[in-house]
Amino acid sequence: MLLTNPSQTVCKSYDLGSNPYKPELARIISIDPMVEDNYLFRFRFEDPDLNNSFQYRPGQFMELSVIGVGEAPISISSTPTRRGVIEMCIRRVGRVTNALYRLKPNDLIGLRGPFGNGFPVEEMKGHSLLIVAGGLGMVPLRSILLYALDNRQDYDRIILLYGTRYPDHLLFRSELEAMMYRSDVECHLIVEKPALSPDTPEWRGKFGLVTDLFDDVKDLDVKRSYALVVGPPIFYRFVLTKCLDMGFSKDHILMSLERRMECGIGKCGHCEIGSKKVCTDGPVFTYWDVINLPEMI
Amino acid sequence: MKVVKLPKSKVEEFLSSLQDFGEVIIPKEKTEHPGVYYFDVMENPSEMAWEYLRTIIPPKKYLHKPREVIFKFHKEQGYQEVIEDKETKRILFGLHPCDIHGIKILDVVFNRDYMDPYYYARRKNTVIIGLSCLPDEKCFCKSMNTDYVEDGFDLFLSDIGEDFLVAVGTSLGDDLVAERAHLFSEVEEEDRRKYLAFRKKRNESFRLELDISDLPYILDLEQKSPIWDELGKRCLTCGSCSMVCPTCYCFNVYDTLNLDAKSGQRIKQWDACLFKDYALVAGGHNFRENRAERVKNRYYHKQFRMVEQYGKPSCVGCGRCIDACPAGIDVVEVLTKVREGSYVTH
Amino acid sequence: MSKPKIGIFGLTSCAGDQLMILNCEDQLIDLANAVDIRDWEMAKTNNDEECELDIALVEGSVAQVRDIENLKKIRKRSKILVAIGTCAVWGGIPAMKNDVPRDIMLKEVYGDKVEFIESKAAQPLSSFVKVDYNLPGCPIEKDQFLQMMASFLNGDMPEILNFSVCSECKMKENICQIVYKQEVCCGPLTVAGCGARCPSHNVPCSGCHGPIEEVHYDAEAKMFQRKGIKPEEIIRKMQVYAAPAWMPEKLMEELQHESK
Ligand SMILES: Cc1cc2nc3c(=O)[nH]c(=O)nc-3n(C[C@H](O)[C@H](O)[C@H](O)COP(=O)(O)OP(=O)(O)OC[C@H]3O[C@@H](n4cnc5c(N)ncnc54)[C@H](O)[C@@H]3O)c2cc1C
Ligand code: SF4
Ligand code: SF4
Ligand code: SF4
Ligand code: SF4
Ligand code: FES
Repeated sequence: MLLTNPSQTVCKSYDLGSNPYKPELARIISIDPMVEDNYLFRFRFEDPDLNNSFQYRPGQFMELSVIGVGEAPISISSTPTRRGVIEMCIRRVGRVTNALYRLKPNDLIGLRGPFGNGFPVEEMKGHSLLIVAGGLGMVPLRSILLYALDNRQDYDRIILLYGTRYPDHLLFRSELEAMMYRSDVECHLIVEKPALSPDTPEWRGKFGLVTDLFDDVKDLDVKRSYALVVGPPIFYRFVLTKCLDMGFSKDHILMSLERRMECGIGKCGHCEIGSKKVCTDGPVFTYWDVINLPEMI
Repeated sequence: MKVVKLPKSKVEEFLSSLQDFGEVIIPKEKTEHPGVYYFDVMENPSEMAWEYLRTIIPPKKYLHKPREVIFKFHKEQGYQEVIEDKETKRILFGLHPCDIHGIKILDVVFNRDYMDPYYYARRKNTVIIGLSCLPDEKCFCKSMNTDYVEDGFDLFLSDIGEDFLVAVGTSLGDDLVAERAHLFSEVEEEDRRKYLAFRKKRNESFRLELDISDLPYILDLEQKSPIWDELGKRCLTCGSCSMVCPTCYCFNVYDTLNLDAKSGQRIKQWDACLFKDYALVAGGHNFRENRAERVKNRYYHKQFRMVEQYGKPSCVGCGRCIDACPAGIDVVEVLTKVREGSYVTH
Repeated sequence: MSKPKIGIFGLTSCAGDQLMILNCEDQLIDLANAVDIRDWEMAKTNNDEECELDIALVEGSVAQVRDIENLKKIRKRSKILVAIGTCAVWGGIPAMKNDVPRDIMLKEVYGDKVEFIESKAAQPLSSFVKVDYNLPGCPIEKDQFLQMMASFLNGDMPEILNFSVCSECKMKENICQIVYKQEVCCGPLTVAGCGARCPSHNVPCSGCHGPIEEVHYDAEAKMFQRKGIKPEEIIRKMQVYAAPAWMPEKLMEELQHESK
């Protein structure tokens, strides 16, 4: 009776018993303020089997439910190579995220996913990764950064360029500062202005824009590299030009986009841009996709 | 395809007998508004409005509900699935080809990539029995290539005067016929001729035409056409056109909390890309801030993006949106104007 | 957690919204258990008229001088102030005749002898104090009210609807009053929430919930004119409820411009 036989269409979840809308209970393990209104939450599924078998790709996202309030799509910031805990860096902006900030460790929330395509970790094997983050763009990129470091042999050079306006806004600061002393990753951080708050450790690094850091990238074989670029709209304008100037081809520049989402699974329509659904075709798109879709940025 | 014959004198008996299978949904006329139709549960076969052409809301309301509870939740116990009408067996009777095509499109949307268990549960319990029709001045299914159906139904009734020709589309449809074999008879040469005559008459009755050749390409070129601003000035963004469209599927998900502040329900409700908050994200950024962009989106989604995504447009030419728009915005007029490059609408 | 302290107040109003709260029969006990109603003149005695409140629900428009003082006092003592009902949110029916000078209107209504009412042009609460949440309706809808209270109890701000009555009207599968009956229906301008009560009873929407965020006055006016409805008729119909707050100059101008 059903015309589109689901087993013939490309069904990512063709399991009649499973409901992709159903949030599974997860418990908050810890909440760490990283920067103002930007906390790192650690979650674990209540069901131990699910927690052990849970797999995802860097760049994918989950739908997080604060029970009784609603849902919000949130990227996974942890890496699938370190099982057992899901980390998410969540900014307080509206109803759901405010309600989440009221919760305490050990409280229950709902999680469903993972959704979206994520970064093409297989295709990128053997290539160098130039990871460029602006502001909160570090959130989805941290997952691929840690993933690549945990699979170090699969990738050539791993370079991180990350900038924010103030040192107060640098996410994962201590973790990233520690990376500056490692030889297997080239980590470059930059801020525009000195610290705002006296509580923020003093900034001894560079001052300027993230685009300035491109000068530190020497002898990169762009034909054997991918640029992974995530940041605020104005950041894209300048960073993309830099990447193109370096000689990156448009389909080796990857970006992660955000849109309004109500379902995460390609049904509700809200996240559509051009002919793509950010939730199922994205959130990771190539620059080629982006320039070919009206309304993209 | 197997075709049998059902005399009109026996069709009410046929309808009644279908109630053995499950709930029978038929088009009915609104008592207080003659000439206006809606789908509803049949209590008596005499309620069947054989002459109906289009209902206010398409039969999608039985598959993708205007508003449904999808979970009950509790802060300690989490989410418990609720699928409304999960076990209800239903026959949608009297669907015209455009509405059957509409369901075919929803089938793809709701089952591609991920299965939507709410849609699927109801869809798999639904039998579709089609019915032939004669177009009015708002029908343009012929232009959209949705004026006939080759599949997507279990049975399809074509009116040839004294009788219906009944095409059998599925094995279940075959069973429905076999179980009521005494009502049906063989198709004869004369019936075939009657059908061809009916078909010819129907083909000649279309008064509204829309040229869709190359339309996605033309739309792509006309992204900045002044017509979208013109429409933005006229449209009230009331959303009626999307609510009544057999292929509009957009929805919102939201939670309602009970007074204990612990339990409640998660709800899925029809939404439309014409509404202001449709593409609004936290922090106040709206990807389709002004009205013109949102009206334009409805046309682009149906005639351009669906073609790219699924290989055909998601307008089936049913004419409902033309009927429903208080501002008198007419999809055929708009798309014709875009093609002609004459941008002022009336 | 201690129960939130609530006060319910009426300014110049018909008390319809307060009645609606009293009419939440099945849920009233739950509500009374969940909150601590400290001050509700209409429904109880022994009110504490000075205590601090977590939530103040205020009905009615500001249409008398003393309303302003009362309102400011309520604002001072409450953390969250909610305008309930279209009068409180938009001015409502009392604001319908704001264009008539007060002294003339007072004479018309009460005759020459009355002196105790210091009447003024009716205005919504937000003209005088900060309003944290608006729950329109004439009267408010029970379900919306209960859901709002549940959200407050949970510490959230309730969601704000931002689409028009037409969508609810179509979901109810009503005939369109504009299309089929050439009636002036305020549905496209009016915020949803009522479940399209009036069109479901075959009566055009009179806009009692007040406008959506993005009202399209010009399009609406032109649309009715194209249907041959006179400007006076449109204004008369649209002015009943929240009109003064959301209709006047722009629509007027548009109509006059069109009719030339
Ligand atoms: C793929 C993806 C990944 C994301 N990753 C993160 C992340 O790692 N960390 C983080 O802090 N934020 C992330 N966001 C943004 C986050 O989803 C929004 O900030 C969040 O939905 C706001 O919800 P709210 O209820 O608190 O805000 P409100 O403003 O109250 O939200 C109102 C409504 O808008 C929707 N909405 C608002 N903003 C967005 C948005 N940007 N994207 C989608 N829906 C939105 C919500 O679902 C809700 O229905 C991501 C968004 C997307 C699409
Ligand atoms: S767009 Fe209009 S004519 Fe086309 S299917 Fe939808 S309601 Fe029918
Ligand atoms: S995007 Fe608009 S036109 Fe497309 S299905 Fe959704 S409401 Fe309909
Ligand atoms: S029905 Fe007409 S006025 Fe309403 S949103 Fe659709 S096009 Fe606009
Ligand atoms: S009757 Fe009124 S509320 Fe209903 S669709 Fe028509 S204009 Fe909108
Ligand atoms: S979030 Fe619903 S379609 Fe993408």
